[in-house]
Amino acid sequence: MKSRFFLVSLLLLASAAFLPDAPAQNAPREVDPALADEMDEYAVIQVYDPLEKFNRGVFKFNDTVYNHVLRPVSRGYQRVVPAPARHGLSNFFSNLRFPIRFVSELLQGKFGRAGREAERFYVNTVAGLGGFIRISDDVPALANLPSEDLGQTFGVWGFHRGPYLVLPLLGPGTVRDAVGGVGDYFLNPMHWDPFKEVEGHRWYWDTALQTTDTVNSIPELLGIYDAERKAALDPYVGVRSAYIQYRDAAVKQ
Amino acid sequence: MRFIRLSSLFVMACAVSAVAKAESDPQQVLHGAVDEVLAIAYDGKASAQPLSERVRPVLEKYFNFESITRRAVGPGWRQFKPEQQQRATVLFTELVIRTYADRFEVGDRPGITYAAPVQLAPGRRELPTTIDYAGKKYAVAYRMELVGGNWRIYDVIIEGVSMIANYRAQFDALSQQGGPDAVIHSLEQNLKQVAAK
Repeated sequence: MKSRFFLVSLLLLASAAFLPDAPAQNAPREVDPALADEMDEYAVIQVYDPLEKFNRGVFKFNDTVYNHVLRPVSRGYQRVVPAPARHGLSNFFSNLRFPIRFVSELLQGKFGRAGREAERFYVNTVAGLGGFIRISDDVPALANLPSEDLGQTFGVWGFHRGPYLVLPLLGPGTVRDAVGGVGDYFLNPMHWDPFKEVEGHRWYWDTALQTTDTVNSIPELLGIYDAERKAALDPYVGVRSAYIQYRDAAVKQ
Repeated sequence: MRFIRLSSLFVMACAVSAVAKAESDPQQVLHGAVDEVLAIAYDGKASAQPLSERVRPVLEKYFNFESITRRAVGPGWRQFKPEQQQRATVLFTELVIRTYADRFEVGDRPGITYAAPVQLAPGRRELPTTIDYAGKKYAVAYRMELVGGNWRIYDVIIEGVSMIANYRAQFDALSQQGGPDAVIHSLEQNLKQVAAK
């Protein structure tokens, strides 16, 4: 089962690597020399979006789900679980995803940062009660480590983003990031097999853990989505532009 | 006669020192702007006026909305007649102010740290800051330009997402399809929808 999953992801990876570069959708238009100086700073990033029709459909579907399912869930959760507990859980799950960041940093050759990442994991796990308290924020060298994942790693290696993709429920992505996401899944200790062989392990532990992680992250994600959506003239293009800019910036870090 | 010469010298000296003061430090200007906005947003007093109305004077002082609109619309701006440019600027200013005010929520007051400014071009700087809000940190950079001796904000970049670039992507498609009217119309639609909520 697992090997099949890997095969699929490997195939996806291969196809992503050989994707042609995005064709220029519009020939660059002539720019008024008087305006050129301040305009070129903001040349529109060309997003390769051959599936736009399909993507817009999924975007609409997601929007409905967010409004009618996730929003009530998010509101109820925020009412029941106080903010400090939510922050603690968020810190805990973020600390748990350490292998994703660590492996990505090694694969990108950022060895110094990987060392600091390991240090941070150690400090937060030991002194921060298993990661609930982000003690590392008190250490200047460990306070502002940018997050890394496999999608960014592929970007650093020079793989093209691939087509823009809106996935049901998961939201915006690109083929490169989706493949990276599959790898991240296996690097997340929550999905490691050895834990499942511990005596007395129950399947619903995994489900409970996974659900807590997901639900706990909803209020923040929904907040970001809402702000972007409300301010947009064409929400689909607005969210797409924000996602691509955000990921491009993350790759550069 | 001598008095006039002396006093004109004095006036000139004052003018020079005023310019020098304004030009000295965009970071100080940004610091002042952020402090003013936070003071209004977290004054703890209940107010019948929406936050967007209360912060408007401060934002209008520190943001260069004419150049923000021009940059956001991009190359299509040349097709705008002067009155269309004016209309688009008024509408877009409104949208930016409302969006900006929406980002503040009741409760935690965000903590802000300033990093060293980066020179983008003569008279243009990027000022990176980190905002500590609700247990998370966000990278927010302000781009400022020197206009008539004053440093004014023309872009806000949150976690790598530039406000201008984000709107440019949307305006570009609109103005290619329907010209200035499409841009103005969609701005009006958005403001109507936001007001209804």
